[in-house]
Amino acid sequence: MSRLEAKKPSLCKSEPLTSERVRATLCVLKGILTSSYGPSGRLKQVHSGFGGCVCTTSQSSALLSNLPVTHPILKILTTSMQNHVSCFRDCGLFTAILCCNLIENVQRTGLTPTTVTKLNQHLLSLCTSYLKSESCGCRILVDFSSPQTLLCLVRSIVTSKPACMLTREERDHLSALILRAFLLTIPENTKDRLILGNSIIVPLKGQRVLDSSVLPGILIEMSEIQLMKILPIKKSEAFKVALFCASLSGDFSDTGEGTMVVTYGVSLENAVLEQLLSLGRQLVSDHVDLVVCQKVIHPSLKQFLSMHRVIAIDRVGVALMEPLSKVTGTQPIGSIGSISPSSYGSVKDLCPAKFGFKHFLHLIPYEATICSLLLCNRNDTAWDELKLTCQTALHVLQLTIKEPCVLLGGGCTETHLAAYIRHKTCNEPESILKDDGCTQTELQLSTEAFCSALESVAGSLEHDGGEVLTDMKYGHFWSAHAEAPSIVNWPDLLSRCGCGLYNSQEELHWSFLKSTRHPFVPQTYLPHEATGSADNLTLDCFTAKLSGLQVAVETANLILDLSYVIEDKN
Amino acid sequence: MVMACRVINKRRHMGLQQLSSFAGTGRTFLGPVKSSKFIIDEECHESVLISSTIRLLESLDLTSAVGQLLNEAVQAQNNTYKTGTSTLLFLVGAWSSAAEECLHLGVPISVIVSVMSEGLNSCIKEVVSLQVPIYNVFDHLDSTKTFSGLETFNISLCPFLQIPSDTGLQKEHDLNDVASPSLTTYSLSGIPVKSPKLFRRQTEVEADKNTLQNPQTLKNSLLASSHYRKSILIHSRHFNRTANNQWINKPDGFLEQHGAATPNTYRCNDLVELEMGLSHGDHNSMKLVDEAVRLQYQNASIQQGNCTMPFRFDISRIFTCCLPGVPETFSCVCPGFITVVSISNTTLIKELENQPVRVILIEGDLTENYRHLGFNKATNINTLLESMKIQQNSSEEVWTNYVLQVLIKFNVNLVLVQGNVSEHLIERCIHSKQLVIGSVNSTVMQAFAEASGAVQVTYITQVNENCVGNGIYVAFWRSIPSDVIDRINVITIVIKTEGINLVTVVLTSPVTAQMQTKEDRFWTCAYRLYHALREQKVFLGGGAVEFLCLSHLQILAGQSLSKRNHVCSGWLHNTSSWLASSLALYRPTVLNCLANGWHRYLSTLMYNTASCSSEFEASTFIQQHLQNARDSGSPSSYILNEYNKLNSGIFNPSISNKLEQIPSIYDIIIPKIEAWRRALDLVLLVLQTDSEIITGLGHTQLNSHETEGFLFL
Repeated sequence: MSRLEAKKPSLCKSEPLTSERVRATLCVLKGILTSSYGPSGRLKQVHSGFGGCVCTTSQSSALLSNLPVTHPILKILTTSMQNHVSCFRDCGLFTAILCCNLIENVQRTGLTPTTVTKLNQHLLSLCTSYLKSESCGCRILVDFSSPQTLLCLVRSIVTSKPACMLTREERDHLSALILRAFLLTIPENTKDRLILGNSIIVPLKGQRVLDSSVLPGILIEMSEIQLMKILPIKKSEAFKVALFCASLSGDFSDTGEGTMVVTYGVSLENAVLEQLLSLGRQLVSDHVDLVVCQKVIHPSLKQFLSMHRVIAIDRVGVALMEPLSKVTGTQPIGSIGSISPSSYGSVKDLCPAKFGFKHFLHLIPYEATICSLLLCNRNDTAWDELKLTCQTALHVLQLTIKEPCVLLGGGCTETHLAAYIRHKTCNEPESILKDDGCTQTELQLSTEAFCSALESVAGSLEHDGGEVLTDMKYGHFWSAHAEAPSIVNWPDLLSRCGCGLYNSQEELHWSFLKSTRHPFVPQTYLPHEATGSADNLTLDCFTAKLSGLQVAVETANLILDLSYVIEDKN
Repeated sequence: MVMACRVINKRRHMGLQQLSSFAGTGRTFLGPVKSSKFIIDEECHESVLISSTIRLLESLDLTSAVGQLLNEAVQAQNNTYKTGTSTLLFLVGAWSSAAEECLHLGVPISVIVSVMSEGLNSCIKEVVSLQVPIYNVFDHLDSTKTFSGLETFNISLCPFLQIPSDTGLQKEHDLNDVASPSLTTYSLSGIPVKSPKLFRRQTEVEADKNTLQNPQTLKNSLLASSHYRKSILIHSRHFNRTANNQWINKPDGFLEQHGAATPNTYRCNDLVELEMGLSHGDHNSMKLVDEAVRLQYQNASIQQGNCTMPFRFDISRIFTCCLPGVPETFSCVCPGFITVVSISNTTLIKELENQPVRVILIEGDLTENYRHLGFNKATNINTLLESMKIQQNSSEEVWTNYVLQVLIKFNVNLVLVQGNVSEHLIERCIHSKQLVIGSVNSTVMQAFAEASGAVQVTYITQVNENCVGNGIYVAFWRSIPSDVIDRINVITIVIKTEGINLVTVVLTSPVTAQMQTKEDRFWTCAYRLYHALREQKVFLGGGAVEFLCLSHLQILAGQSLSKRNHVCSGWLHNTSSWLASSLALYRPTVLNCLANGWHRYLSTLMYNTASCSSEFEASTFIQQHLQNARDSGSPSSYILNEYNKLNSGIFNPSISNKLEQIPSIYDIIIPKIEAWRRALDLVLLVLQTDSEIITGLGHTQLNSHETEGFLFL
């Protein structure tokens, strides 16, 4: 007998943003994100509360995927940030903080959501067109003839993750390694389309960071004893490779539903093994030198192969399959029936390698666009953070190849952009006002909300109670000791701007970021010689930051525009 | 425990406090004299006796986030180097208090992080000068000088503490500790609930001062101390630098060694000296290591013939066999594989003795149902019997018969199995003169595979003529008198073959509870030697390195700020931040706090080795040296001069032949430095953490008193 229960009515809440609880939780979320931002950001220990591994991190990708949020508004926010992070990997915290700031600032203005949404869109398009334009004063074109810009970009990313626990020397070493790993994935000769290879990160936990290194080709980890069994490797011109994704373990787990009845004396295991051995015979007669299997190879098949001087490696795992098939030029074989000769590939050389306490078989391909980045760090939590950082940096380099420019980092792009927008809306408001039907006041309020949201993202870089300032010429970001005397000689107190491009000895005027100031024209058209000489700039990924800006504004618009939350309570 | 009462403060940092209270539990493990601890489980009244950091952490409740991180760091150190964990644990405690101190003084976190990190880097660079290269220690190995021959004069020398001679004292000390009620009681969360009442030993610290001034006194006490534990300050080899090493005082107060980084006079080319220096007082264990290395070396030279490959100490080919209940004196080292088998094998072994036998090696289990890893058994297969013939034998019986057939066919009398072995099979094999041994270590298997030509297989069905190894000898191992071994009701056998690269170290202990400790100690010594030989250099030990770090940091802290300004601004990752320009303001404070960590390390070390009767006394002693060193302008040259003065007196002809043999104390380099780095990394990681995010926990799962301070999203 089934029991019916009356359905509970759905719960409908209007104006969700006005609720105190939502504001409070948004505030907590913002607090978590802002406190993690930048090179001196504070770390978060993320763990389950039941023991087990503790993740110490300040990266958006680790934080957002682990933050247990419940409220729908927060879910919208975190989901859209996660989407951004999964596409671009960088600028996740920037995006999330900007979005929170926008929501907060706009609420304070009291403008209607429709007006704000429209105006925000306009301001956003002002930003994007400026950032993409020739005249942009915070964008540097990447000069691929020297590694300097790319190295600065990588170093900025590595520096911004304090949980990696790197010293300066280690940071420089690692930045160079990441860049080298990336360069190894670029094919030497391309026809019309550039297809990048990839870098495989090989864990080597417990070792010193300076022991990290990068090698062309693929490293397959194996135990010393396993390695001893396949040594010595006979030398040959090329090694013919068969790559299996099917299990060669000799089991028959896919028997399906129901029961199978077998006559006494018939051994299914032996039947499968016989099939495997005939596969082995085919491999031997096809003169295969190396058999690699994603899963397990039956010991008897392994023994058979090794008796015929065929190297058999099993359990390489799914992660290595794609690079292996790329390197050897084969499609993985999915069945243990007969193999067509076309499914074999080849590698140039095989050799044993030992790094730290781990043993590897090193596969050296003919055309190497695959490399292995052996990554070392002292403890697990710092290693995990370092791995994420490397992945981010490698991805950012890929994005930079597609769109060969970078933005000034260290908060300078944000303050510069804010200065530009303020100036634009103050001096040329007509272009926006004419097709929107908004008043001048509305535009001003909205601009202020937008620009101060940008500026407070830059201000979030400061975690130790320092003062944040901007200069009135370039619109760059500066920081100073908070307890500075009231009348100070600013040029002596300040050293360099956030990105490191300008120093305080130029004739500049400064203003506190929080204070109101007259709109001014920040210097556009970054002179080429200015960027060429500086070798220690803080840089940001152009594509990721631009997308972050768009995602933040659009998500904020979406959240501001929400008027009802309807929850199904069943 | 000072840390526990320093909690009431606005700026308190819970993570750092947790770290220092966890670390406090391992304080007595620092240094060569380790006091054992009893860990008692109050629920099931079980207790373990431990005397190493690793075993301590195994027994502590470390489920909090910080505890997890600490455990992770210690495990990582242990897995990589098998040594240095006590140093790591202690420094975690010392530096987390140092970091907390900086917070109290209002230093911004980012500044603490960069100054501490670069300060330690600077120390690591500084101590390079205390490295001693190891040259060709195996060249003199054939000489008659062995480790045990040196025990006539076995105290080790170092500047700040003296490592007690072994045999008797070590044991006595342990037993004393065991006998006295648990010295400090810690609740499982690692917070001390009772103030420590530590074991004290009377020492004469006055002697220190005398010896410094009066070489004659030193000589006397030096000789006396081979019989009595008495605190003396003695010179170290490090400071015996002769005239060909010139030390130059640079204008900035740095002492720089002129010429080569490590002059030839300070090298170690004697294995026994090296081992003595690395034994850190545990001569019993090091003696076994020494014998094991010699056996490996002999074996390698026989195997190689005239080929002159340099000998490499292969620690993976050393195997330990523990025999609890046997008196300590029977610990020994033998070539081959020594193992314990059940007494029912006695007749079988008698039959197998004195003839070469053939062997097969099975990786995995030797049971009917065993399948290789990754083999999934289908569960839905039924076997149908077509005729009504009753099966006489069970499938197990069929399988056993098959195994026996294979063994007989290939004339195999010995089966070594990595996994478990079917009991039934073992019994049947005994009757047909075949010895089957299960749970054999994988490196033992590998050694037999290499030496006998056997190939390891997974299934008995894989066996063919190529897989079988030859020329194995099985015999009773009778180095322990039969009446002793009968008492513990097992028989020990030795399995070996010509040229096998395997050495078994038999460890014995009359007290079963101490077996684990004994094994741990052996491996600690073995790994110390292994790392030293791998690196081909060692540090001068016994606190010399740490003292140099301490004085180096104090010099750095005291240096004029303007001069170093531009240098230290580079210390911060983020050079454009205001923190870079105000670094000079905070730098001395942070460096001094870091130096205090070293100070605590040294004083605890001295106290633990009973060189001083209290930590306070040790602290005063160090303080006095530092003061003198500061007054002299350059600590290194001060110490150097002091020791040079001693040298002239100490090498007087009447005792010089004996003093030749006084060994230095050595430390291994990379594991030590990595332990420092790991400790500081952990502290800085926790220092920079401002919140804890607990995933997957609802409001309901937290008790009401716990929810305080929690924010929910």
